[in-house]
Amino acid sequence: MEAPSAKFRRLHPLTFVHYVFLAIVGFVFAAVSAPDYGGDAQRYSLIFATFYAIATGPYAIAKYIRFRYHVTSDELVIHYGVFKRVRRNIPSERIHTVSIERNMLARILGTAVVRIETAGTGEAEGNLSYIGVREAERIRNLLRTAQAPDPSESPASPSFFMPLKRVLLSSIYQFSLGISALLVGVFFQLESLGIVDSRTLVTWLVEQNFFNETIENSWPLLVALLLLVTLVLGWSLGFVQNLIRFYNFRIELGAKKIRRKFGLITLREGTLPYKRVQSFLIRSNPLMRLHGWHRLEMQTLGLQSGERGFQPGMPFAKWTEIIALAPLIRPFTVPETFMRVSRLTIRRRTLRYSLLIVLSSVVISLFWWPPALWGLCLLPAGWGLAWLQYLCHRWAHHDGNLLIRRRVFSQQFWVVPVERFQAFEITATFFQRRLGLCTLIVDTAGAGDLRYPRIIDLKREEADRLLAELYDAFQLEATW
Amino acid sequence: MQILDPAVIKVWTIKGALRWGILLPVCTTIDVIFFFSDNDTFLPGLWTGLLLVVCLAWILIVPKLRYRYWRYELRDEDLYAIRGIWNRVQTIVPLRRIQHLDVAQDLIEGNYDLARLVVHTAGTRSTDMVVPGLPYDEAVQLRDKVREFIAEYMD
Repeated sequence: MEAPSAKFRRLHPLTFVHYVFLAIVGFVFAAVSAPDYGGDAQRYSLIFATFYAIATGPYAIAKYIRFRYHVTSDELVIHYGVFKRVRRNIPSERIHTVSIERNMLARILGTAVVRIETAGTGEAEGNLSYIGVREAERIRNLLRTAQAPDPSESPASPSFFMPLKRVLLSSIYQFSLGISALLVGVFFQLESLGIVDSRTLVTWLVEQNFFNETIENSWPLLVALLLLVTLVLGWSLGFVQNLIRFYNFRIELGAKKIRRKFGLITLREGTLPYKRVQSFLIRSNPLMRLHGWHRLEMQTLGLQSGERGFQPGMPFAKWTEIIALAPLIRPFTVPETFMRVSRLTIRRRTLRYSLLIVLSSVVISLFWWPPALWGLCLLPAGWGLAWLQYLCHRWAHHDGNLLIRRRVFSQQFWVVPVERFQAFEITATFFQRRLGLCTLIVDTAGAGDLRYPRIIDLKREEADRLLAELYDAFQLEATW
Repeated sequence: MQILDPAVIKVWTIKGALRWGILLPVCTTIDVIFFFSDNDTFLPGLWTGLLLVVCLAWILIVPKLRYRYWRYELRDEDLYAIRGIWNRVQTIVPLRRIQHLDVAQDLIEGNYDLARLVVHTAGTRSTDMVVPGLPYDEAVQLRDKVREFIAEYMD
């Protein structure tokens, strides 16, 4: 294979600082995450981590030495690989997205990661980590000028910006239980390391007698207090997470591309071609809906920044703002009226929830905790939830788009352009078949495994009719 | 609509037996450990017995039912398939959405001269639609037909 000539450049020398930092993080993680059953597992994991660090060090150096790149306005050429040498040429006309990402460490060191995505794959095809900031900008400009000129540079292009006030406001509505769970995990780790002891802590808390009650009576209060602490913690962490993520969020629409820039600790900056947007997902929670706030996400082909195909479009905006901006990316209008699914959905869902409640209550009360039988009081709630789900689930085939509204609490509103469909599916479970119902699913590129557009519990004839209608529209509109 | 080659029942039965067979040593080990320990909570051989019953029911009934409900058809502009025992699924993959096609065959299928046609689209849910249990030549013919259609349409 042809060796890279002198014009080829190496990555930034400070890349090693990143490697060392990652190795330290990995080492600490290995030390902390090992279960402490008698101490041996922890020692072995530390030994393993040490060996791993020693073994991967030379590999990191070899990788750095082997990695060379060269950018012209026509193409990006990368040479890499320690054991298997690879030369990759990415022609600039195939490049869809050039994004620059800078995390906290990169910003301290003055480095950046440049990710290059092409139409061929969902993942980044070229990844320059790490290079100097100026070099990153030079590469982006070079590759950008090579592509079709985009008049989005003009300041008059439609845009959406979240000033600090709006980001702070949006953060108020966020709640993150995920991080709380992580903190609980860390707490148990600390306990296993002997740094904290939950038993002494709880006993101490009870003995403090905050509530001036006897010890037996303070237990329920203590549980209530813990719940409150979890809620406050979940809310504060959600607040911080949202603030860090969407700080200074800016989106600008060019003639063919969307340009975005956001983030406090990791600054994300990149472009996204319109044709890569597969569908829109507008989400909201009950509190957000109460004050008229929504979040627009764009489902894309690429998996940039590990978002599983869902990119933030407008993290916190009024409905009117969304309706004004999103159709410029892919045209859609919201119809006056929506269709409902079959009322039989209430019956099917109630049956499902009732089975779940009865089974879990009976099993738990029989084997572990007799008062769990009171769980049967939740039966009417199951019916209520099913009824609410029926009310919240609506759909419309309007103006070349399939629009689906569903879910009660974390509400989703899908806008799926007909020409973006990949496959059509009608599924019917045993219970659905008994009631003459089915679920219509339209598959699109980049949808999540759990988050995808579907209409649940349509009448069979209606589903067949809608499928035929959608398929006809698809054949008229979809290009190859 | 087309049905699959009946030999696929045997293929599924063997694959099912292999899949469940992996659990057999685990269950037997648990039973042996309980047998030689003082713990007499479980009847001797309970787990192995249970596994064998479930496994036999599974490999004797499920492949036949799966076969009964599998139908497919290559239509003018799409590939259409109906399948599923508990959850009946009806899929339409428009031929213009196909990214690439594979004819796959493993050792067991090879023994019965069967193959699978794997259709890849850019979609996420039905990315890989698999039509199993096709005689090898038929799978190749089907693939070629789809390929011809795509090539013709592209021109």
